[in-house]
Amino acid sequence: MNMPNTIVCRCEEVTLEEIADTAKRYRCSSREVKLRTRAGMGFCGGRTCRYLIEEIVRQAIGHATFDTVPLKYQPPVRPVSFSQLGGEQR
Amino acid sequence: MMSGRIEHHPILGPLHSRKRIGFIFDGRTFQGYEGETIAAALLANGVRTLRYHEESGAPRGIYCNIGHCYECRVTVEGKGNIRACLTTIKEGMTIRSGQKLPAPFKKGGDQAWRTF
Repeated sequence: MNMPNTIVCRCEEVTLEEIADTAKRYRCSSREVKLRTRAGMGFCGGRTCRYLIEEIVRQAIGHATFDTVPLKYQPPVRPVSFSQLGGEQR
Repeated sequence: MMSGRIEHHPILGPLHSRKRIGFIFDGRTFQGYEGETIAAALLANGVRTLRYHEESGAPRGIYCNIGHCYECRVTVEGKGNIRACLTTIKEGMTIRSGQKLPAPFKKGGDQAWRTF
């Protein structure tokens, strides 16, 4: 199995290598990795890969992220369409 | 049509006969059973690709199958981003897969889509 090319964030197609390299190169937090690579910013809202990204960054830079704030998520926790906001029943 | 279904489960027993339902996926007609999800019915018909990634065009299918990851999102009756793994099929339901989107402003990519 080709580990470096394993896709971690499927929504934005970000590989393990890209995330680890970005974290090492910039010695940055998981949030900065997210903003630089778009990992965890796709359709699912990082629900699938958020913890993986945090763990990869933690391992890559050897300690907890500088700001130690985990990647956040906020309402709405699932994508909501404008028709739903407008009161349409699903 | 029965391909891929467990017809004789050692614990759950034989698969009970259910109502057959016809539906359309990308213009092709398929048969499924009442109560099956779009993803399950298509899988039983040998269709594993539910959409293509918007930017890269890489094929996508069932990933989490519990409504978590949105990898199986399809267009159902004109409504976009419906999860195939949670939505049950209905008679005559029209489903479209997601396709690669044009990226005319991407460096070195998709010149054919350029309209300016």
